[in-house]
Amino acid sequence: MNSDDSVIEMPPIELADASSSAMSRRDFLKIVGAGTAGLVIAQVVCVQVDAAPSAQADIAKPKGMVIGDPTRCTGCRRCEIACTSFNDGKNQPSLARIKVARNLNFGPDGAQYGYQRQTPGHFGNFLIVQETCRQCAHPVPCMMACPNGAIEVTGPVNARIVNTTKCTGCRQCQAACPWDMTVFDEQLKKASKCHLCNGEPECVKACPNAAIRFVPWQDRSKDIPKRWVVPAYLATPPNVSSTCGSCHK
Amino acid sequence: MAPLGGYRGKILRIDLSTGKVSSEDTAKYKDFLGGTGLGYKILWDEVKPGTKAFDPENRIIFGVGPLTGSGAPLSGRVSITSLWPNHLNELPATGHMGGHWGAELKFAGWDSIIVQGKADKPVWIYINDDKVEIRDARHLWGNGIFRATEEICNEVGSDTQVAAIGQAGENLVRIACVMCNRSHSAGGVGGVLGSKNLKAIGIRGTGAVAIAADKKAWKDLTYEFLSLIGANNQGVVPRTPQPWAEYYGNTRWTARKGLYWGSAKPAVETGECSADDLNRIGYRTQKGVLDHGEGVGEKYLVRMGGCHSCPVRCHAYTEIPALETKYGVSRFQGNTCTGNSFGSGFFSSPSGSEARIEASQLGSALADDYGLWSDYGQFPRDFVYGYKSGLFKAKLDPKEYDSIPWKLLDNNDPAFLLDVMKRIAFRTGELGKAFADGMPRLEQKWPEIAAYHQTYDSSCWKDAHAKHHSSEAGAQVGALLNMMYNRDVQCHTHTNFMGSGLPFNLMKEISGELFGSPDALDSSTQYTPMNKGKAVFTKMSLIYLELHNSLTACNWTLPLWTSPRKDRKYRGDVALESKVLSAVTGEKISREELEATGLRILNLFRALTARFMNEKDLRNKHDLANEWVYEYPKDKPAFAAGVTKMDRADMELAKDMFYAEMGWDKATGMPTQQTLEKYGLKQVAEGLKQQGLLV
Repeated sequence: MNSDDSVIEMPPIELADASSSAMSRRDFLKIVGAGTAGLVIAQVVCVQVDAAPSAQADIAKPKGMVIGDPTRCTGCRRCEIACTSFNDGKNQPSLARIKVARNLNFGPDGAQYGYQRQTPGHFGNFLIVQETCRQCAHPVPCMMACPNGAIEVTGPVNARIVNTTKCTGCRQCQAACPWDMTVFDEQLKKASKCHLCNGEPECVKACPNAAIRFVPWQDRSKDIPKRWVVPAYLATPPNVSSTCGSCHK
Repeated sequence: MAPLGGYRGKILRIDLSTGKVSSEDTAKYKDFLGGTGLGYKILWDEVKPGTKAFDPENRIIFGVGPLTGSGAPLSGRVSITSLWPNHLNELPATGHMGGHWGAELKFAGWDSIIVQGKADKPVWIYINDDKVEIRDARHLWGNGIFRATEEICNEVGSDTQVAAIGQAGENLVRIACVMCNRSHSAGGVGGVLGSKNLKAIGIRGTGAVAIAADKKAWKDLTYEFLSLIGANNQGVVPRTPQPWAEYYGNTRWTARKGLYWGSAKPAVETGECSADDLNRIGYRTQKGVLDHGEGVGEKYLVRMGGCHSCPVRCHAYTEIPALETKYGVSRFQGNTCTGNSFGSGFFSSPSGSEARIEASQLGSALADDYGLWSDYGQFPRDFVYGYKSGLFKAKLDPKEYDSIPWKLLDNNDPAFLLDVMKRIAFRTGELGKAFADGMPRLEQKWPEIAAYHQTYDSSCWKDAHAKHHSSEAGAQVGALLNMMYNRDVQCHTHTNFMGSGLPFNLMKEISGELFGSPDALDSSTQYTPMNKGKAVFTKMSLIYLELHNSLTACNWTLPLWTSPRKDRKYRGDVALESKVLSAVTGEKISREELEATGLRILNLFRALTARFMNEKDLRNKHDLANEWVYEYPKDKPAFAAGVTKMDRADMELAKDMFYAEMGWDKATGMPTQQTLEKYGLKQVAEGLKQQGLLV
C-alpha cells in the first residue's frame, strides 16, 4: 500500500482556543479536512500491516493525538477511569493508556530527589504531568519490537493499535516504548495501548478541567523519553528488520 | 466470595502483635457494605466493652466499599473507624480521609484492612497487590509525614499511595490524624496507629475493580451522574450572576469570567463554567477565594485538587514565596476548609490579608507534617481562649509560660505556629500535654475550659466537640444530627441539600417531594417549631451519611437531591446511590433496600455507642447539647427572627418525633428489639440484652 494514499498531510491549521474543552471528532475532522477538499475523511481508512510486512517507513501517519496540559490537571484521574471503564468494562489505572497516577505525588522523576523540591507532583510544585501515547511515526518502537506484527495502523485516525488476535502476550512492545506507554492486561494476557477510541478519546471527554485535548498529530517522538535505553535483549524481529533495507541503504 | 463487580472479595487482617497477615471473605460483611458499616461491625464483633483506644485489643478499620475505586464519581473516600481517643469515654467514631489511598487499596485487591495488636517496634505495612509485608519503620519513626511518605516511595516506588502518621500520632496525641496525598487527613485516629507502633501503610495496586453493568450502560449512568453535580457541597447555581444561569445564590460555585488560579504558570482562568459544560466542573469551585478571601485567595492559588474520581475539586493548593523566606517551609502548601483555617484560627488577621493566608498555609505545612488535627477548630479556639482569658498565665508554671513567644501571638505573627504546633505534637511541657490529651480531658483538667464550652463563642456542641453544621443548619435537623455522634458530627447530607443556592420557594417544593412536607425546610432567617417533615429530613440525612461513608461516596457533595439542570427543574436523583451500586455490583438494589441497609448500619452504630457507654439512656446521657444552644442570644426568645436559639421543650419534642421515625424507644432513644430485628441485627439485640441495655 502506498503511503501517499493513506496519509493525509496536515495543512497548517488554527487550533481552537487553548482554553476550550474537548473537540468533538466531527469538529476535529472538519479542521483536518480544511485543506484537503474533496477527500472523504470520515470514511474509515484502514491501513494494515500485512502478514508479509511492508516497509515500516510506509505506515500511515496518525491523524490525531492526545496531549495534556499539566497546569490545568488537578489529578482526579477521571481520564484513566474513562479509558478503562468505557473501553474495558473495569476500572484499572495500570491498564489506562493515559498515565497520571504514576506522576501524581512526585512527578515523572519520582521520589529520588527527596520531597518538597520544586519538581512536579503533590509533594512538589503541584504540577501533574499527564503522559499520553505519541502515536509515533516511523520508527514506531512498540510496532518494531512486536514479533507478530500485532501492532497495526488502524482507521479512522490511524492510531497504532494492538490487534489482540495476533498478540501473544510476549510484552516486547511494553519494554520497547521509550515513554513507557504500552500497557498489559493481566486478565486477558494481551498488550494494549492508546487507540484514540476511534477518534473520540474517552479521556478527553472525561476531563473535568479540559486539561487533555485531541489535536492534529504532530511528531513528539523527539520528546525526552522516560526510558533512555531500550533493553539490550530487544532485537527487532527478523521479519521486521528484513524490511529496513528498503530505505536504509 | 466470587468476586462481584465493585468488591474485590477479600478483606485484609493484620495482627501486629503476632505479625500474622490473613485474608477474610468480604461476603461475611456484605450486609454492612464496607466503610463505616464494616468498621462498626468489626468493633461490635471483636472489641470488648471497656477496651480503650490505645489498647492493643482495639481495632482500627480502614474501610472502603464497593464503590471505592470503581471510578464512580465522588468515590475516593476512606472511613477509618476505631475507638476514639479524643472522647472522654473513648466511644466508637470514624475519621474520614479522601485522596487516592482508598482506591489504591481496591486496585491492590482488598475490600478494607483491619489492624489489631501492637508491634514490638515501629513498623510500616507494605501492600503490593496480594503481597503484604510488615516492614521495619525505625528509620521513619520520629519523622514527619512528608519525609515518611517520600522515604517509603523511594524504597518501593514513586507510584505508592502512602497513609502515614507524623510525630503527633507517634506521641499518642489524641488530636492526631492519618494523612495521605499530602493534604488529605483523617482526624482523630492518628494516635491509634501510634499506639500500635504503626507508622504508615503504603499501597501499590495494579488490579481492576470490575463494573458489572455493560460498558454503554455504565458510561450513560456516569455522565448522567456528572450532569447532576454542582459545585463543592452541591451548590447547584453560581455564586454570582452569570449570563447562562437563571439563578445565583450563596454557593461555592465561584467560577466567573476574570477569576483565576493566579499562581498557575501561566495563570489559568476559571471562566464562566456553565452547568452543561462537564469539561469545566473542576473549575467551578475556586475555593481559594472562599478559604483565604478575595485577592490573596486568587493571587496565590496554583490549582484546585481533590480525591480520586471526583470532578469537584475542593482542595486549594497555593504557592507563597514568603513561607520559604520567613518561616523556612516549602512555598507550596494547601488544604481545604478547616484544614486551611487551622493555622489562621489562632490569629485575628482579617480574611484576605497576607498575614492570614501565611498563617493558614504555614499551619498546613506544620500540621500536615506533624499529623496534628484541629479538632474541627476546637483546638485553636480553646487555645486562644486559654491565653486571652489569662487561664494559661494563672495555671502554668511561670517558667514555662514565659518560654512561650506570646508576643508573636499578640502581633498576629504566623511564626507563633512554629512554637505551638510543635509543642502540642511533641507534648512539650504542661501546656503541650494538656492540649495533646484533647479537649474532653482539657475540660477535666481546667473547668474554666468546660465553662467556656457552654458559651456560644466556643462553638462547642457537647462532650468538648465542636459544633459542625448544627442548629444554624436546619435548626432542629442540625441540632439532632449534632447529638448523634461521638466526635464533631461529620454530616453534610443536610447542608448539601440546603446549600443548593436555589430560590427558597423552589427548595420548599423539593422538600415536600423528599420529606413529605415543605415545612421540613425553614428559611435561614426564621426557624419554626419541630414538625414531622424535619424528623424525616433528619432520618434521611443520617441514612445517607452512613451509606456514603460505607459505599464509599463523598458526603461533602452527595447527596444530589438538587441539580444544576434546568431541564429537570433543578431536581437531582434520590435513587442515584442505589442505581450506581446496582450497576457496579450487578446486584439490583432498590432505593428502599439501600436505605434499609443504611438504617442497619445506623442502628448498629447506635447500639455500639450504648454498649461502650454501658448506658441505655442515650436520650438523657448522650443526645445532648451545650447551654448556649438554648441560651444564645440572651436578649431574644427562641424562634425570634434571625436567631438560631433552640427551645428546650421543642427540642424534647424533636427527639420524640425523630426517635419515632427511627423506631427508637421514646424514653431512652435506644433502638428497640423490634427495630434491631427488622434490620437484621438480632445478634446485636442479644448482645445488648446480655449487657442489660435492651429496651
